[in-house]
Order: sequence, then C-alpha cells, then structure tokens
Amino acid sequence: MYPAPIEQYSRPSTLEELYSLLDSNEEDILVLAGGQSAMQAVKSRMLRPAHIIDLQALSELKFVTSEKGLLTVGAMTRYVDIVSSDSIPLELIALKDAASRVGDRQVRNRGTIGGSLCWNYSAACTPATVLALDGAMNLISPDGSTRQVAADDFFLGPLETARNEFEILLSVDFKLRGSKSGSAYKKWGLVTDALPVIGIAACLHFDNTDCCDYARITLTGLSGAQRCLEAEASLLSTTANAEEIAEAMMIMCSKVSTYTDSVATADYRYQLIKTIGLEVIEIAKKRAFSLG
Amino acid sequence: MAKVAIDINGRLFQEEVPERMLLVDFIRERAHLTGTHIGCTYEGVCGACTVHLDGEAVKSCMLLAAQADEHKVTTVEGLAPDGELTPLQEAFKSEHGLQCGFCTAGILMNMTDFLKRYPNPSEQEIREGLIGNLCRCTGYVHIVNAVRKVVQENQSRKT
Repeated sequence: MYPAPIEQYSRPSTLEELYSLLDSNEEDILVLAGGQSAMQAVKSRMLRPAHIIDLQALSELKFVTSEKGLLTVGAMTRYVDIVSSDSIPLELIALKDAASRVGDRQVRNRGTIGGSLCWNYSAACTPATVLALDGAMNLISPDGSTRQVAADDFFLGPLETARNEFEILLSVDFKLRGSKSGSAYKKWGLVTDALPVIGIAACLHFDNTDCCDYARITLTGLSGAQRCLEAEASLLSTTANAEEIAEAMMIMCSKVSTYTDSVATADYRYQLIKTIGLEVIEIAKKRAFSLG
Repeated sequence: MAKVAIDINGRLFQEEVPERMLLVDFIRERAHLTGTHIGCTYEGVCGACTVHLDGEAVKSCMLLAAQADEHKVTTVEGLAPDGELTPLQEAFKSEHGLQCGFCTAGILMNMTDFLKRYPNPSEQEIREGLIGNLCRCTGYVHIVNAVRKVVQENQSRKT
C-alpha cells in the first residue's frame, strides 16, 4: 500500500526545535525514529499522520556511553551501531544478541533502539531484551520536564507504552552489576532473523558461592515483552544447572498460554520456550562466569 | 508539497514532491533511474529497491523522498558510471548470479555495502547478509558463488 496524504514533514536538528514543533495543539503527529516499523504502518494506513516529525537529524540522541557502572544508549542509536559498539560490556551483551538479528541488514542500517521500544510490537526483540536487562527509559516532555520509567512500568502491552503522546524517549540506562553477571537473548522465527515466534532474554547474577542471587527472564512473541516472576524466583539460590533451568522453564510454560496458528501449534510454542530458555540461560550463565 | 534536493549518483535533483512520495518513486519517476525496482508493492520485504543512503544499504520503499533531502543516494546505475563493471557485477555475470534479473539491482547494492563492511565473510555470513533480498529464480546458489568469487579475488590479491 501507499501512505495516505501527509500535510507536513519536519526534520528538527536540535531538541529545542523538536520541542517547539511538539508544543502545539496539532493532532495526528507521528514522531519517526528509524521508520522501519512505523513506515510500514503508515504505508498500510493503519496510521494516517498529518505531520511527520523525523528525528534522524538529532545526532545528540545517537550515542553509546559506559561509565561509573552505567551504560546509556541514545534513543536514535541504530541496530548496526549497537552491534559495532565497543562500549557495551559483556554482561549486557544480550543487547548485541538482539540487535544483530533484527530483520535484515538494510533494516539494521536504519532501525533504532528507541523506535523499537516506543513502538513495542508484540513480537519484537528489543523490548524483551531491555526488560530482561532492567533498562530505564529517560523521557522528556516539550516543557523540558524529565522522568525516568523502569522497563517494568514502560511496556504496557502490544503497541502500548507508558510514554505520553508528546513525550520523547531520549535514552535508555542500564545499571552494571559487576562480576558474575551475564545476559543473553535468542529467538526462533520462520526464517533467519525474522520476527520471533518465541524469543527469550535472560539476565543473571551469581554470588560468592556461585549461587544465582538475581534473575530476570523475559519472553516475547506471544503478547509482547513479559517477565515470568515465578520462573525467575525458582532459579534463585540455585546454581542454575540444566535441571534447575528446565524446572524454571516448566514453570514459565505453566504461567503463559500459547496458541495454534499457521506458523506453529500451541505445543510447539511451549517446546520452543523450553528449548530456547535452556539455551539462553546457559549462555547467560557461561558469560557470567567468563567475567570471573 | 515538500521541496527536496537529493544527490543521486553525483547529480543533484531539486524537485517539489508530495510529502507522502516514497524515495523509490522519486528515484524511478523523478530521476528516471529505473534500475531500482519495486518487487513487493512497497511492503519492505523483497529488497529489490535497495539503494545506498550516504553509503549504506537501505530499502528505498521504507523512506519518504523528503527524508532523503540533503542526503546522497547511490543507485545501481551509480555503480559503473563509466560503463566499466565493478568486480561484483563482473562476478554476477561470470557466475550466472541472475536469471530474470529483477532482484539483481537490490542485491548488488546490498552486497556492495556488505563487502565494504565485511571484506572476508564466510559463506554463512554471505547468506545471512542476503536475508533482506528475495530472489525467486536462482535459489541463491549462484548469487552466493558470485559474492564468494569477489572475496576470493580480493584475498588472493592480498597474498
């Protein structure tokens, strides 16, 4: 399909310019990041924006910095930039697992982390990964007021977030947990790098006795990014061996409902959760111990 | 209407376009460069419309023409401006990397950018790099062979 008529296209080059564009009573504004999801919605006329505000020239939102135990990723940082960044520490490497497998290389050359988080598609890789890594969204309103929203409170459901209409996502913060921390993300789709039928992200920390004292496990593909608190809790105080992980995945399967469609049966989806979950958590654990 | 100035293959095209015009249509209908193809009615899945935006492979049906204002675009016509084929184009010819040719322009643009970033890829990496481009006649075998040929030529030149 083709976009419905658009009345105005703007490309602010500073945040001040952006705020002045947003600070109006205008309706049907679409703020466009990389456009690799939103433009599909515009072309299919699911969205019919009168005014597109394109963030591509906001170079101040394109950065990856790691200092004082905090990784910060600018909202307009593209997948290709995340994959090639030297600033992402090993314990947060799930970000690279996810970014390196989104769509295809043409999509990764345009698509951004911020766009994906704010769009929050039901089968997206980035929201589930950021939820597992306990990311915190830094949002700003046109009047200059800022607030930080934890990933747990940000993703409300497919295509829904806690971002208000005129708020802009500036960046995402990730706290580093130090030694014996590891993370991973993996998905299965119909073809390589496709949207996940099932995707799982995990972030683990182990204490001095090599027991797991922190676990976040998230799932995507069914109804957006979701945590499974019971599965996480079952891993605590264990060494996360294969049996204990399998037990956690059984718990996860008992807490989510899958469905059958032309892509996969409900049972196959449960099998994917168990298989990918085991693999992801084992990779995260291996990474945690490779850090010493 | 939006005023745009887009450099395509070193030539500046200054036009007034409807805001909703997609870049691929600007390239085909305003610049009259029809080497860039539309294979999936602007669905963003086939990759036939792949061009370079500031040197990087992107799908030109996923962008408004207005978004390319003040940017540099290279299309398949820009690969061999003087008629002398690039090594990748030569390899597609010698390895029979195309049959109907409809997807070829997009694949050439994607793989030209790919080889710049990954000069010595494995066959698996080449196949993964091609995921954004659909070919319905070759089965990809000859396409992968053509890309591998360029890699082998570059590596043997180095040693």
